[in-house]
Amino acid sequence: EKLGFMQYRQPPGKPELIKCRSPEKETFSCWWKPVSDGGLPTNYTLFYNNEGEESFYECPDYTTAGPNSCYFDKKHTSLWTIYNITIKATNEMGSNISEPHYVDVTYIVQPNPPVNLSLALNKHTDGKLYLLMNWSSPPLADVRSGWLTLEYELRLKPEEGEEWETIFVGQRTKYKVFSLIPGEKYIAQVRCKSDHGEWSKWSSESYIHLPKEFRLKDMMVWVFVAVLSSVICLIMIWMMGLKGINMVACILPPVPGPKIKGLDAHLLEAGKNEELLSALGCQGFPPTSDCEDLLVEFLEIDDSEDQQLMPNHEKGHPNKNLKSGNKETDSDSGRGSCDSPSLLLEKCKESRIPPAEFQTPDFSETQVKAAGKSSQETQNRDPELKLPDFNSDGVKSSTWPGTQLASSQIPKGSYHNIVEVCKVAFSAMNVNVSAIRMGNEEKHPSKYSKNIETICEGEMTQRRKGESFHSKAKADQALQWLLPNEKSPFLSDKPMDYVEIHKVNQNGALAVLPKQKENSDKTEIYPIPGTTKEYAKVTRVVDNNVLVLMPESRVQGMPVFQEPPKESAQSLHQSQAEKNMSYCLTAPSEFRLQTGGLEYMDPNSFMCSFK
Amino acid sequence: RRSASLSPSVSAGSACLLLWLCLLGKPPGLGGSLCTRGDSGCPPLSVADLFDRVIQHSDRLHRLSAKKYFLPSGNELAKSARRCHTSRMLTPNGKEYAQTIPREELTYVILRLLQAWKEPLSHFDQSTVHHQDLSDDSLSKAKEISNMVHELKTGVEKVTEKMQSMGIISNSLNGMGSSEAAGLSISNEANLMSNYEFIHCFRRDSNKVQSYLKILKCRIMPGNSC
Repeated sequence: EKLGFMQYRQPPGKPELIKCRSPEKETFSCWWKPVSDGGLPTNYTLFYNNEGEESFYECPDYTTAGPNSCYFDKKHTSLWTIYNITIKATNEMGSNISEPHYVDVTYIVQPNPPVNLSLALNKHTDGKLYLLMNWSSPPLADVRSGWLTLEYELRLKPEEGEEWETIFVGQRTKYKVFSLIPGEKYIAQVRCKSDHGEWSKWSSESYIHLPKEFRLKDMMVWVFVAVLSSVICLIMIWMMGLKGINMVACILPPVPGPKIKGLDAHLLEAGKNEELLSALGCQGFPPTSDCEDLLVEFLEIDDSEDQQLMPNHEKGHPNKNLKSGNKETDSDSGRGSCDSPSLLLEKCKESRIPPAEFQTPDFSETQVKAAGKSSQETQNRDPELKLPDFNSDGVKSSTWPGTQLASSQIPKGSYHNIVEVCKVAFSAMNVNVSAIRMGNEEKHPSKYSKNIETICEGEMTQRRKGESFHSKAKADQALQWLLPNEKSPFLSDKPMDYVEIHKVNQNGALAVLPKQKENSDKTEIYPIPGTTKEYAKVTRVVDNNVLVLMPESRVQGMPVFQEPPKESAQSLHQSQAEKNMSYCLTAPSEFRLQTGGLEYMDPNSFMCSFK
Repeated sequence: RRSASLSPSVSAGSACLLLWLCLLGKPPGLGGSLCTRGDSGCPPLSVADLFDRVIQHSDRLHRLSAKKYFLPSGNELAKSARRCHTSRMLTPNGKEYAQTIPREELTYVILRLLQAWKEPLSHFDQSTVHHQDLSDDSLSKAKEISNMVHELKTGVEKVTEKMQSMGIISNSLNGMGSSEAAGLSISNEANLMSNYEFIHCFRRDSNKVQSYLKILKCRIMPGNSC
């Protein structure tokens, strides 16, 4: 308003005609630009002059075409004539006239946009999908009489596309589009132009959504591929079936059961303990060497009536004491202590370790010899030496049940049953293990057994069974005394075995014979008390190196087997007073078996040499 | 003289000419093929086809005349607008008029227009005075236009004869004759026009001819691309 006030009361500016347009070549309109009115209301008038005429006419219609416009209807429109149009702006102060504008209606035709643009999907003869576009000319344009000739133009683009694709169609009002992307959404527009005029505005947008194409050819290919692969699979399966290949085993190999390397379950069942234990490494588990030694040391007293020193008929198996429940009355004096049922401790049964085979027949011999040798050798030895040193022979010894056992080398051929008994007996590693008794209870105690059995086992058994040992006290004492941590390396390289005492001379020397292999069929591990035969009981230890043996209950004045011969005699006598037989025995040490801490005493540790 | 160039208008004109020759009575021959001179196998063309061809030709003629170098500016347009030698001819200036006057009259108007321009165009390149403000392209175009006009007139005459023979329009020798006479007289005045006026006037008249032909065709044969 300020500006208007500044420009107050001025004649209007010069108007200017913007454009004139005819939509159908029958009428036309003109628009002008309003000018600064000088702050006063301005009146606009349009004058036109036809070609060839002198007079000017004023605009017949100022409103139809909008503000600042003039509309010429059919009556006032002449083709192929030139209009001279001027606009006059008038206000209170004056007026102003625009420049003349010459217009030939023929050349200002700009039709309205086409209408009714429809999009449809059709199928071509060859099965292809195409887009059919249909539209109509603008309603005002008279095309039917040929008065207007319109040409059309299309444009298409996908919805997310950026560029339009423009197609000049010509005078037709329909069009087929072939190259479209299935699954896309398209936008389409159309416009038209008179043959000498200007293009119309684009029509409103039309949309179409193309469906995803399902081509039968593609599906056929997939079906073919599926059928072919299934046929191939069937053929392969059939061929594999023919060849006997177990595909299931190939694909899903059976889960291997738990297995100890080298340990064959079948071997266990077959009772071949030595292989089994060798597979196990025999790392001291069955302290066979110790047991061997111990076995060697032990005398088995057979208190059967049969005084003859008979070879032990028992065959084979050290197992028998684990299984030898039935073994009871065997006139064979050579029965190993291990065979005696009473020797077998419960634990042996429970442990169920298959008894190993006593495979060292020669060992006992060697042991004995060694014992004999050493005994002779050690006659000059310190009498305090408790145990005969079998080591001179290079025999390893292991304390029974001793740590040494674990570390020492166990001779091949394990005395499993003995071991078992030993360890079972000394499970607690108590020194309480009394002297091992051999034989006993019933018939054998009066005699030295021919065989050298694992007294320890017998003792163990006895212990286990309860406090049935009468000589327990003595045994304890003896054992305790023997307990020290002597690590007499009485480990033998050879497997241990029983020896049979052939005879005992007056000096107390024992003539031994290798024990026969015991029968492995003994099933009864745990012998019943009273059925034992061949073990001797260690009554006491004399002078650190003498074991006084005697059968369990009956033997009296049994010869004692002791290391120093001269003292042995005395001991023998001494022992005769004893009820029980003493026995070389080493104290059980803290040997722990691999199998679970069963402790036993290794006979080897009782290095009692004997002649 | 005919232009040596192979412009579509020339070829169309030639086709039209040959078509007239075919129409002169040659028996029908191969269908759809272009009739060569002397070929006895020209198929008869219907009036509609004839009209289409004529209309196409006139369209080309008009486009040629409406080229940019021919289009005068606003002021020029004003000056030249009053001096067209055919301005005095009474021609329908709107659709209603074109649809209401008799067919014969409309045909006559077309012929008169074409006749009126025949002479001036042929004289156009001969007058050096008029060529001062025209480029060489314009001059060559003018020559081409002249040829096309001649061909178009011939074509329209043929169509007229066809229509008269078919009874679509009545015979009116009077109209034919008068066109030539009117054309001659008018063409004398064409010398007074300037080049721009000449071209502008021709452009307008060619548009008239085209429009009239279309109206006439749709009046005679409605529905066929009408």
